Amino acid sequence: MDTKKLSKDKLGEFVAVLAKQNKLYIPQKEGENLKFKPLSGDQEELDFPRITTVPPKDVFFPQTETLYRFEQGGTDISFPKEEEEAVVLGIRPCDARAMAIMDSLFSWDIDDPYFLNKREKTTLIGLACLEPGVNCFCTSVGGGPASTEGLDILLTDLGEDYLLQVLTEKGGKIKLSVEELLEEAAEDDLDTAEKLVKEATSKIGRSINTDGIQEKLPELWESPLWKNLSNSCLGCGICTFLCPTCHCFDIQDEMEGLEGRRCRVWDSCMFEEYTLHASGHNPRPSRRERLRNRINHKYSYFVQNFGKIACVGCGRCIDLCPVNIDVLDILSQVVKEAI
Amino acid sequence: MVDLEKLKSIAKETVSRDDVKYLIGWRQGTYGFRVSPHFVEKPEEAEELIFSPLCTNNLASYLVLPEKLPLPRGVEPDSRKVALMVKGCDSRAVVQQIVEQGIKRDEIIVIGCPCEGVIDLEKVEERFPNQLESVTAQWSNGKIIFHLPEGNEEIPKEEVLATKCLTCRYPNPVLSDLMLGDEVETWGDEKYEDVKELEAKDPQERWSFWEEAFSSCVRCYSCRNVCPMCYCEDCILDRLNPTWINRSNNASENTAFHLARAFHLAGRCIECGECERVCPAGIPLTKLNRKLSKVVQENYEYIPGIDPESKPFQSSYRPEDQEDFIL
Repeated sequence: MDTKKLSKDKLGEFVAVLAKQNKLYIPQKEGENLKFKPLSGDQEELDFPRITTVPPKDVFFPQTETLYRFEQGGTDISFPKEEEEAVVLGIRPCDARAMAIMDSLFSWDIDDPYFLNKREKTTLIGLACLEPGVNCFCTSVGGGPASTEGLDILLTDLGEDYLLQVLTEKGGKIKLSVEELLEEAAEDDLDTAEKLVKEATSKIGRSINTDGIQEKLPELWESPLWKNLSNSCLGCGICTFLCPTCHCFDIQDEMEGLEGRRCRVWDSCMFEEYTLHASGHNPRPSRRERLRNRINHKYSYFVQNFGKIACVGCGRCIDLCPVNIDVLDILSQVVKEAI
Repeated sequence: MVDLEKLKSIAKETVSRDDVKYLIGWRQGTYGFRVSPHFVEKPEEAEELIFSPLCTNNLASYLVLPEKLPLPRGVEPDSRKVALMVKGCDSRAVVQQIVEQGIKRDEIIVIGCPCEGVIDLEKVEERFPNQLESVTAQWSNGKIIFHLPEGNEEIPKEEVLATKCLTCRYPNPVLSDLMLGDEVETWGDEKYEDVKELEAKDPQERWSFWEEAFSSCVRCYSCRNVCPMCYCEDCILDRLNPTWINRSNNASENTAFHLARAFHLAGRCIECGECERVCPAGIPLTKLNRKLSKVVQENYEYIPGIDPESKPFQSSYRPEDQEDFIL
């Protein structure tokens, strides 16, 4: 593995080089909301938050994405222009793992060109988590504060410098483009990074043993658990829209005058409309069925289909739920529940 | 001060009645300062009930939230009563729902909790970050005492109260079947300072302010879903034929969504602030709703959610009502 060091004094230059050659996404504020957005000229200071409110999935799977444009009465369609080379800087290891999880879905039976083209052209430069949040539980679902899955480069904050580890060929190319800003990393730096990551791991306070949950969930289909848990659920889209692995979408045609576009927009299994049939029948008629589906999908169906849990333990759904519906609490109740 | 033992015994008695479905209250949440709505169906579940400065949720939303599912032939709808714990602001939502005939007075039992103000979770979590172990809290002489694992912390309540509580005019429930504890003294005075501040800006500045705020909306609809006054069975946002508001997320559609909601709440919003509390994007939605409340109050002397016998603002008329806006 190629390991270098980047002095924090040179971070500005590093960013400038990346931004010159690529579309560069970094965490930024939009109103009060934190999300990854393309760097605009007037970015004053770089600040990497512990986690963004909106996960960086929207770089690859935007909330609204034009699939093609058309004109009313016409037969021609036009596709959006080709994707640019891009870099996402400061993505956390959990969110990068989420992208690896989404890859399985978007290349399942049919390749999804919109998603996969962006993935192919984008390099992910991650930042190891040294200060985990109160609801982080990445270590329970196969990740960790310095997990490299899905990443091309991993940065670890050593105080004065970042340790820069190149993980993939794509990462190697980026490294070449910034080579002159980098220094050699010493053995000590690697040790320091390892120590910091170990400390961070020990600070993760929440956990769940996921063994057997996949098999147990379908057996609890009719359990009163779901009614009890969903009583307080508002049926809003916070837990799904802001989940880094949730990937459901709806396809809509939108017209403006005679011009129209077919677009895909995020959808949420927590919405009534999501499963509503044209007949008026709804197979998931209440919040009970919808909450049950969300948990089953993440911890059972996705595991059956792809061999991995569709949760990276970022804790957003717990942090942001207005009524304290806590996925770790749900899973621990699932484990305890007698069949 | 609400006596917790009295609360629990009343709750046990209430849910033991044959004509009561459940009681909705609050309980300590799964970690830190979080509190969760608590649905008490069996007497023993009443043990977990609490009432403290952490009880932010307006539970009146749960009177109108449950889905009305089609029943199998021959099955009668569950007509048992729902008992509900309310703070002052929450009680106004109940009154307004009654005024609008969204619920019927005899379908509910209202348990009033005089309230000295609830916390702004963000302010508290900023002060005590990464708090995993559950923390309880209580009011004490203008202060809030947090029982942290390392010891008690007393904080003057103005420093941690939710903004809406600082100007609260209705700390005591305006409607209740029974009250837990004595009435508290009213401290707030509503001058709509925040609204006036926005009004003083020029239109371009105001537009930039809202454009930025609405652009950050993720369209999770948590503001609509948590709102005790947003209970239309057929919501304009869910309509596809015609599609009034596109599903795509952009400043224009998001603005249409928020303005539609604000107009539908004119003269109805009881300013519980739940929309702003739950918004993951931090959109200052109460400023929008309070602007309309101010207009309604100034022009028509109407304050919603006070008198269960009153008529809804938008469907009532007085001869002296202003009509100078009609062209």
